[in-house]
Amino acid sequence: MITNEIIDSFIEKIPPAPKALKETLLFLNAGELVKASHVAKEDKALSTYLKVLVNKPIYGFRNEVSDVSQIFGILGVSKSQQAVYNYMMTLLSPSKWQLFKLNRVLFYNLQADLSMNWQKILTHLEIEDKDILSSISLLPASIIVSEALFCEKKKDVELLRSVNPIDLNTILKRLCNTDLFDICEQIATKWEMPADVSAIIQAASGVKPSEDERSNNLGKWMHLLLFYTLSQPKYIEAELNDFIDFQIEYVEDIYSDFSDLMEIS
Amino acid sequence: MKAVVRNGVGVFTPQGFLDGAASTAILSIEDIEATIAQNADMILVSLKKVIFFNRNGLDAFVKMFHKVRSANHSIVGFCDYDTKKYEAIIRFFKDDLSFSLFRSQDIAMLFSASYKNQNKNVLLYNEDKSQRAAMAIELHDNGHNPIIAQTKEEFDEKSDAENAYDLVITDTFLGQMGQKVATRVTGNAIIYTVSSFLDAEIGNTFNIAYHNNSLNVGFRLFIFDTYKVISMNVHALNFFSKLSSAGAEYNATICFVGMSFDKTPKEFKETLEDSGIMFFNQMDNILQDKELLAELGASSAANVKEKRVLNKGIVTELPNFIEATVATIEMMTNSQAIKEAAKVDKIAIAATEGNIASSIGFYGDIDGMVILVFPKEIAKKACELLIGEETDDTELILDTLAELVNIVGGKVKTLLADQHISVDITLPRTYPDIASLLEIAQDKKGVQVDLSFNNDKFLFFLTR
Repeated sequence: MITNEIIDSFIEKIPPAPKALKETLLFLNAGELVKASHVAKEDKALSTYLKVLVNKPIYGFRNEVSDVSQIFGILGVSKSQQAVYNYMMTLLSPSKWQLFKLNRVLFYNLQADLSMNWQKILTHLEIEDKDILSSISLLPASIIVSEALFCEKKKDVELLRSVNPIDLNTILKRLCNTDLFDICEQIATKWEMPADVSAIIQAASGVKPSEDERSNNLGKWMHLLLFYTLSQPKYIEAELNDFIDFQIEYVEDIYSDFSDLMEIS
Repeated sequence: MKAVVRNGVGVFTPQGFLDGAASTAILSIEDIEATIAQNADMILVSLKKVIFFNRNGLDAFVKMFHKVRSANHSIVGFCDYDTKKYEAIIRFFKDDLSFSLFRSQDIAMLFSASYKNQNKNVLLYNEDKSQRAAMAIELHDNGHNPIIAQTKEEFDEKSDAENAYDLVITDTFLGQMGQKVATRVTGNAIIYTVSSFLDAEIGNTFNIAYHNNSLNVGFRLFIFDTYKVISMNVHALNFFSKLSSAGAEYNATICFVGMSFDKTPKEFKETLEDSGIMFFNQMDNILQDKELLAELGASSAANVKEKRVLNKGIVTELPNFIEATVATIEMMTNSQAIKEAAKVDKIAIAATEGNIASSIGFYGDIDGMVILVFPKEIAKKACELLIGEETDDTELILDTLAELVNIVGGKVKTLLADQHISVDITLPRTYPDIASLLEIAQDKKGVQVDLSFNNDKFLFFLTR
């Protein structure tokens, strides 16, 4: 069904991060918001994306924000970096989704929902680290990779899952000895994302706990946040809820804390 | 979301957070209709991957339970939870707990009508005396050995004993049980267990589709365990007479074991005998008598008087059957198929050692049967995808093989539907060795296609 050659070909086709994005990130890293916004403005698609993203209701701005320098100014360095990484991820997403019932708007919403709640979690955990804040932007790559690898095998997957409730990550692991999150890590490497990001994403798979205590703990929070988000009706209807297995035991020790933070009753 | 059905038990496995909005999105009206159409003996909703639920979140499933039970007489309920979740469900539905609660799927299987494993030693405890009694009766009826703890202290003491019980039942509640006729397979015979008063309701509780499937895949001996039948009326008499006549086309035999005619008119027995039903006092009189079994068709299931032959309709669709099979095996093993030979004749298996087989029937606009003979290595490789590890456990391989053949059947159904040919598929049947396959297939003529997957020989046989 899926072979290692297909995976290699997918990874090969991932474009390198565009020059304008690299420069924007470099300036953001140096805390140069004004210079970063000047470079970002040159990339029209990035400017449009940032405008659409920050004007989503979950960001909570009363008035429309339209200028990139204004957007970076309001968001600050960390959230601006996260937003740019979110944009990079959209460069990988397909123009037409086939495996999942997603579209561009819904995918942007998913990025916004994850990003805002991840920030809430990091504030609760008293972590102020822009790379860790950005790590959430890599999580939807697992959905994009699933779509890319399995979209032409949708009927096979449906047949397989009609007799055995097996998730896409497990199918890939058993067929090719590599999983969705290994491929996410390769994307992160190709795009020169910080090393922390990959470690947290691997732990967030729920099946590969990290030996590093902090990465592992953040992986638990991210895994739980993913399923909290994917339990919303719009994502269930997009058939995202069971693309990977929810590892309930993995997150059990942080659940009570999470449920208080998200005010779940 | 659709339930995954195995051995007559359908299981939904929702994930994450289950509130009213989520469960309505998970379970559409079409999903409920599809669940009813599956006609499973038991429908369960597993909560093992649900970290949070509220009453509204469970309500959509409870409504589905009501619909499925009233349509199919199935057992319905939740399973796979801990004590905290069990207590929450009891609290939410204390006035309307008509469904069942099983702490694990293994416990639920003990109460299923189409159980495979019998004689389990089961320790059980429930605070409610009537629940304790109801569970013990159901377990006993299903062929297990229930041991009831009368007090919590007794339960704690007994459950401490290591390896004393196959299963220990706690945090389990039996709601309204399904009234399906219990079914089990013993060798090449199928045993149905019926009890109390047999009347017109037998037409609803007997799974006629399962029975017809069993005939289609080669079963020829059907035994009704009637030890617990009190009486039978004329509607049930007509039902069994018709069942026996319908089975005659396949040369099938129906036997009644342990039937008492104390409260049933004696002339009913003559009517049933006239329709071909045989009567025995003890189950062992049949199952332990190999000569009798052979005579009754349980060891020679191909003993059909009117052999059916291949026709144009089915041969025309041969490429679809091959494609479905090849695509499935390729998908499961990530290997390429090479077609080596094809012929129309009786099935010919060059090497009988190290091979296992499976068959699946289809009926509708066209009908027939696909037989697949696997080298154990291909079967093991294909099963790795489904079970996640290499195994030498033949029973596990055969169980997984049945799933694989189900996938082939499902694919055949889809490919034929594209050409507006409507078929239904039967339950798959597996054979641990070639001898048991040849019992049903050696005289059948069909199309044989020899394939090779990475040099492993694989045989495809299409017949009627």
